[in-house]
Amino acid sequence: MKKSAFVLMTLAALAGTSSLAMAEASDGILTVATIGEPPSLDVMQTPTDIVLTIDQHIFETLYTYDAEWKSVPLLAAAMPTISEDGLTYRIPLREGVKFHDGSDFDAKDVTASLKRWMAINSKGKQVATIVDSLSEDGDHAVIIKLKSRYAPLLATLSQASVIMPSEKVKDTLTDFIGTGPYELKERKPDQYTQLVRFDGYKSPEGAPNNYAGKREAIAKEIRFVPVPDANTRVEGLISGQFDYADSLPVSAYERVEKSGNAKPVIFKDAGWASMNMNMKQGLLVKKPLRQAVQAALNANDMMLAAFSDDRFFSVDGSIFPKGSFWHTEAGVVRYGEGDPDAAGKLLKEAGYDGTPLRLLTSRQYEFHYKIGEVAKAYLEAAGFKVDLQVVDWATLTTRRADPKEWDIFITHSNFPGDPTTINTITDSYPGWYVSDQKTKAVAAYMNATTDDAKKTAWDGIQTVIYDDAPLYKVGNFNAVSGLSNGVSGYEPTYWPHFWNVTPKK
Amino acid sequence: MAKIAQALLKRLGGMAIVLALVVTVVFIIVRVTPGDPAAVMLGSDATPADIAQLRTKMGLDAPMIVQYGQFVLGILQGDLGQSIFLNQPVTTALASRAEPTFFLTLFSILIAVGIALPVGILSAVKRGTIFDQIVVTLTMIAASVPSFWLGLMLIQIFAVGQGWFPASGYGGPETPFLERLHHLVLPAVALGIVNSALITRFTRAAMLDVLGEDYVRTARAKGAGAGRVILKHALKNAMIPIITVIGLSVAMLVAGAVVTETVFGLPGVGNLVVSAVLRRDYPVIQGALLTVAAIYVLINFIVDMLYIVVDPRVRL
Repeated sequence: MKKSAFVLMTLAALAGTSSLAMAEASDGILTVATIGEPPSLDVMQTPTDIVLTIDQHIFETLYTYDAEWKSVPLLAAAMPTISEDGLTYRIPLREGVKFHDGSDFDAKDVTASLKRWMAINSKGKQVATIVDSLSEDGDHAVIIKLKSRYAPLLATLSQASVIMPSEKVKDTLTDFIGTGPYELKERKPDQYTQLVRFDGYKSPEGAPNNYAGKREAIAKEIRFVPVPDANTRVEGLISGQFDYADSLPVSAYERVEKSGNAKPVIFKDAGWASMNMNMKQGLLVKKPLRQAVQAALNANDMMLAAFSDDRFFSVDGSIFPKGSFWHTEAGVVRYGEGDPDAAGKLLKEAGYDGTPLRLLTSRQYEFHYKIGEVAKAYLEAAGFKVDLQVVDWATLTTRRADPKEWDIFITHSNFPGDPTTINTITDSYPGWYVSDQKTKAVAAYMNATTDDAKKTAWDGIQTVIYDDAPLYKVGNFNAVSGLSNGVSGYEPTYWPHFWNVTPKK
Repeated sequence: MAKIAQALLKRLGGMAIVLALVVTVVFIIVRVTPGDPAAVMLGSDATPADIAQLRTKMGLDAPMIVQYGQFVLGILQGDLGQSIFLNQPVTTALASRAEPTFFLTLFSILIAVGIALPVGILSAVKRGTIFDQIVVTLTMIAASVPSFWLGLMLIQIFAVGQGWFPASGYGGPETPFLERLHHLVLPAVALGIVNSALITRFTRAAMLDVLGEDYVRTARAKGAGAGRVILKHALKNAMIPIITVIGLSVAMLVAGAVVTETVFGLPGVGNLVVSAVLRRDYPVIQGALLTVAAIYVLINFIVDMLYIVVDPRVRL
């Protein structure tokens, strides 16, 4: 009797501490379950999605993306003044902005931060090759002089090019101090990253619009908690432990919807899956064979296998989805049908000798693997011999750097603010897409100064991409996440953000 | 006494050789496995040139033998290196993961032994009865159930359904110690149940072996009570295989709770090893595996010592 009473008391005590935890969570704290621990908080060095998601609350960039993914001012006071030759950008800076350490934000911080970005960030390094000089123009403006016109400049200044105090800029960051609405309080790897409201925050003006507009730190604290197991994120959300759970499996959609405690959130066209082809070495150096791959594949079947239900994906030959400023049907050929006869014809013309096509994919992203399985079936139906190699993501990223190791690898990306920042378009990105017609098309884009001229130039680039076939666009996918009932003000974005979000009472 | 000291020294020498082998094998395996921490750190935008530059900065382009020498030299000085991703010494990373792993192991083994010993003994004593058959069936089921599935079921019932326990994690900032332990209840139960199956079966088998022995029959014939016969005469003599399996279970739990730690989002040593492998954080993989191997060897050593305590016939 005594023993059972003790057991009951212990259970009651344990249950009591749980209720206490729940009450604390509702006291102005947002608990966000993420897919894992960020490898670092240095977003210049490691510009991955999880780092960008957390860091955007701490750091800010000169520009940011609005709902159309156009760059609009954030720490900049206005759009830049561009010289007539398109080579000099004068960027005015907002005044009265403070860093989390209390110091004032000024032009010196911008030049120091952008120099670090151009030295260590992949996109920054590309920009560095065309930057002639970067200088301060008084305390509240900077001047960037270019060697040649560079249309994506503002888009690249809208992502990982974060601004930090000049005194804190160093090779290996030890202090994570920005101007954002939240400041870093504590990071316990694999346990939590704790951000607290920055009381000295000065918000940009305007209605909230994607990442642009007014930012208000309503929750006093945000806790990013790594929860690598997707099912645990679902259960934690439903049980009320998490206010937001990122990247939920599509199979959990109904369970979350019916739970009564949380609701599923769909972010349309979060990204696109692609198969990148090796143009430097191996089988697919021959263009007709790459075109045979295009003709052989059925985009809808691959996406259906990967995402189960057409609520979670769409198939569209345009590299950018419908609704995007960059959406265009220009040049779309050999897309989506899965035509083994047409592919077989191309194989014959190219004199395919039965060498196995090495298709590299990973199970770290289950949809990559499923796309790979269906692609294998379609490619074999067209006459290719396929060697599907399933490895972990770290192995894939190493192997793809060696042109001897592979013919196709499967990956995914978001839709960038500027189309020419798509990785495949870069000469040095694995796949090594180098072609004269691409160089000309990209040069035309770089010279464009108006949106209309850029759009026309992008039509040209997409046409060339379909002809050269450096990649096969599989389709667009939607991201599913979950939000606890009672949390309000959340607007889905590619990198989920939690300013302007009110925690549950 | 001198003989015991000599035997102990011999054992310690053997342990040192095992650990030296572990250090070398782990170093080689980690280096020959494809994957590159620089590529993981830089993300998908990185070009091969960026990756090569970061490798140089991290010292990963140094010859293998130089890296090995530095690693061994560090170990001899008690330094397991610096984590590439966590930006902290490996010893600090391991120390911060020790608490959840230690208590998870402790609670799991207490639950496992708490179930297994009485059930295993009773099952042997009541051999062939319905109780025994139920125990045999249940232990077979428990041994076959994957701990992650059991974990998810416990989460659904006790975290989502009843709200008694948190679904995952080890508490947020400033979480008191008791609340942190509260996070360990469900994972400890999941692991405890799964581990109890093996220990129950070993206990039952070991007890069945000794219950048929002459000295047990003699004890009964002398009029000793059932409890005394079972606990003093039979159980004491059946303890060696039981201690062995408990020792093995503890050793496996230290690093083998990886799946359970992942399902419950616990920041333990197993989770650290998995993250380090996925990121190719070489110093953490090496340091963690070396530490786990050392614990493994130490537990085996303790088990060997317990044999002597339990059964004086055992010699070192």
